[in-house]
Amino acid sequence: MKLQYLIIAFAIWIVLSVVLFASRSSSTQPVHDVCEPQRIISTAPNLTEILFALNLDERIVGVSRNSNYPPESEEKPKIGTFWQPNIEAVIAAKPQLIVTLSFEQQINLAHRLDRMGFNTLTVKIEDLGDLYTAIEKIGTSAGRMQAARQVIDSIKTNLNNLSKKVRAYKKPGTLWVVQRRPLRVAGPDTFISRLIQIAGGKNVVESSIYKYPPIGAEQLYACNPEVIIEASENCENLREQRKEALEYYKKFKGLSAVENRRIHVIDADSVSRLGPRIDSGAEKITECLHPALTEPACGGSQLFYDKD
Amino acid sequence: MKELLTAKRLLRRIALALIILVLVMLVCSVIGTEKVSLRNVFAGHADGKAANPDYQIFIRVRVPRVILAAIVGAALASAGVVFQALLRNPLAEPYILGISSGAGLGAISAVILGIEWTLLGRSPLAVFAFAGALGTVWLVWFIAKLAKKNKTTTLLLAGVVVNAFFSAVIMLLISVAKSSEFYSTIFWLMGNILEEEFFVLWLAGGFVALAVMALYKISPQLNAMTFGPQDAKNLGINTAAIRTIAFAVASAVTAVAVSLSGLIGFVGLIVPHAVRLLFGADHRQLIPLSAVAGAVFLVAADTIARTIVAPAQMPVGIITAIVGGPFFLVLLIRHTRKSAF
Amino acid sequence: MSIIEIKNLNFSYTAKQPVLRGLTLDVTAGSFLAIVGPNGAGKSTLLNLLSGLLRCSSGTINVDSRSLKSYSSQSLARKIAVVRQQTPPPFGFSVLETVLMARTAFFTSSGFESSEDLSIVDEALRATDTFAFKSRPLTSLSGGERQRVFIARALAQNTSILLLDEPTSFLDLRHQVKIYDLLKVAQVEKSKTIIAATHDINLAAQYADSALLLKPAATHRGESSASSLASCFEYGAVHEVLTPQNVEKTFAVETFVSTVGSERFFLPLGSLAKDRRILSRQNKTDRI
Repeated sequence: MKLQYLIIAFAIWIVLSVVLFASRSSSTQPVHDVCEPQRIISTAPNLTEILFALNLDERIVGVSRNSNYPPESEEKPKIGTFWQPNIEAVIAAKPQLIVTLSFEQQINLAHRLDRMGFNTLTVKIEDLGDLYTAIEKIGTSAGRMQAARQVIDSIKTNLNNLSKKVRAYKKPGTLWVVQRRPLRVAGPDTFISRLIQIAGGKNVVESSIYKYPPIGAEQLYACNPEVIIEASENCENLREQRKEALEYYKKFKGLSAVENRRIHVIDADSVSRLGPRIDSGAEKITECLHPALTEPACGGSQLFYDKD
Repeated sequence: MKELLTAKRLLRRIALALIILVLVMLVCSVIGTEKVSLRNVFAGHADGKAANPDYQIFIRVRVPRVILAAIVGAALASAGVVFQALLRNPLAEPYILGISSGAGLGAISAVILGIEWTLLGRSPLAVFAFAGALGTVWLVWFIAKLAKKNKTTTLLLAGVVVNAFFSAVIMLLISVAKSSEFYSTIFWLMGNILEEEFFVLWLAGGFVALAVMALYKISPQLNAMTFGPQDAKNLGINTAAIRTIAFAVASAVTAVAVSLSGLIGFVGLIVPHAVRLLFGADHRQLIPLSAVAGAVFLVAADTIARTIVAPAQMPVGIITAIVGGPFFLVLLIRHTRKSAF
Repeated sequence: MSIIEIKNLNFSYTAKQPVLRGLTLDVTAGSFLAIVGPNGAGKSTLLNLLSGLLRCSSGTINVDSRSLKSYSSQSLARKIAVVRQQTPPPFGFSVLETVLMARTAFFTSSGFESSEDLSIVDEALRATDTFAFKSRPLTSLSGGERQRVFIARALAQNTSILLLDEPTSFLDLRHQVKIYDLLKVAQVEKSKTIIAATHDINLAAQYADSALLLKPAATHRGESSASSLASCFEYGAVHEVLTPQNVEKTFAVETFVSTVGSERFFLPLGSLAKDRRILSRQNKTDRI
């Protein structure tokens, strides 16, 4: 193959590329804006919960696989997982609005759908402020602004009431464990820390470059938390899980939380998910921190009274 | 063992391979998690996007994915051939000189820095990964240049060192990252074939096609280079020029592949060997046929990856490893009886 | 007519250790030159210099009346072909494919061999008695068979000069002789200039016309520069260079020399031979 052919082919490629580039910008699909989208897709469980909270349930035509609350959401058609949404399923559902979160995979999905002319909404939900903004944005896009404001107000009121309730009491030092081996905990710069504050506790972890720092036994003893809380994905058998946790932490003798058996396992969905149930999540935390104040919920009438 | 390679025979084989590729691509376009009726597709793009999802899925999701898989497969396979020839090592593959860790470092940097802007609609991860890959190759090349002799070994060692160092930096960054950032990077790195707009496919496809043609042009010289730089020089090859061109082209093509689809492994290692076992080691044949075979392989693997655990999408790198390994083993056993490797 | 002219060649790998000093010789076209010398004397180095792989620090080498430096790799490959010790690459090239690579520099722009290339290769295969296994992979051959393939490749390059580095080191007696016969035929029938570096001074003495005896730099360190230059190498007709005195002094070993007709043979003597008192110093030369 002569060198000339190669050079000619190269030149043709360059020329055609320039031509195609010029014609490219004029051929992107127009985005159709729909005021009241009747077919909505959610790609994350907290987004699903928000949509249900805004009374949009009949309009939801697709959810991500692990959307499990409210229970009706499990009946909805699945369009892939949280980390790997299936774009074909999304398109097949003929959506008029697709709501996604803002991390790489989902932004990427939103862009691809945008290019095809679909109406997408991407929201960042990384802390409480984001949550309120997101609910508002979703409400606006779906034509449910009033419902959105109501939900936001309700959450804010509940959280305010909660923090008023616990204001008078001393805040126990709290450690929120994300992972046991290696031991990773929630640092002060996280929404969980904020929740702990609202719920009447004090995060004993100091700030570092990590949001969720791994800590060693040394720092654990230095912090000496009075309460240790773990969030579990598995909502059943919270009692069993608590027993198992108590066994595990026994090796940290002398730790205030261990000595007083103030180790709790609560279900993660209402807390870590950063959705509209965040207020009930905060209440669960308060139960762990100030058991005398609250009605016991999932996992623990035994908070203070079991001798095992 | 084999008859002599002539121009006619080669053209016939390439033509046949291309026909098989097109057929495979057509078949795989029809396979997917959603049932697509071709009649609806040909009804055309109705106004109001919700009206014809079959068209949308076929034209805007399936076909671009299949094309992209072909491009990436061809790129990785031909790069694999070149690295094996230049490093005179059958275990060489496109990521051996640190491209993988360079791309990974670029990707995770983009995620952690929270870069928003896109290039031609490509995500920032892709752009940074491309830059990381090329930067790493340059770095490894530069380190090897400092050594006066035994270029091959120095290159390999430089690649190992750079890989190790960058991997350590990646681990540091991962430990600091939020879990969503961490997962995002990992999933991206595992290798995924997603739809791209046609302009990007044109650019990438054209580039890869030209690169394969260029490598084919120097394939007789690559044949000689497998006997070592001294022998090749005495046979009349300008070893310095050939080595530079081959490395540059193979690295560029790999960087393009990585930026398009993350780190898909095994294609660059297995496909050249499989083609070599079936057709012999002559690079004039090996390069074009590996490119086509790589394309077919990845199109098929991606089709499996996106249907086998529906509605989830498995990263295609998993399929290439699971399928590629045993396939290669069978090929190896059947053919070592006929010829020494 | 000289096909290779070397004037005052100096080369060293490191600044302190010169390997070749002041080497000067002219190689006549169509002659058979044997380069002999102990390990480290610079035989392979000289071959690498001649084939363009190394650059000399000073001095000149002319090939076919042109300076060696002025040749590109491709043009030099049309003048000089090299056979050296090597392991085959871990890829399944066949014998035929290997020998065909010699014609790479002559391929048409399509990148394929012409029929002329194919006939040259055929001839080379037959000459080296490797035609029978031309379809077998290179890696399946024995060391000796492989060596012949590499020589075939060098012959297929169709050059006027052939450089060989230890061409018979892994060969059995029969093949050692066959290779030298082959080289002699190439020299005589095709007027090739053969330059072979070898440890085998006996076969060298049989087949070569001229010899270059290289003395390692260590043996002349400490002498004054003028006299050391003179004693760094010996070049001339093979029987003038490979004398018992030269051999014993350069290789630092006692030898038993025997002459049969016009052929001279050297047998190195180790302590075992001396112990057995096979030969006393006075009876070292013998006439049969």
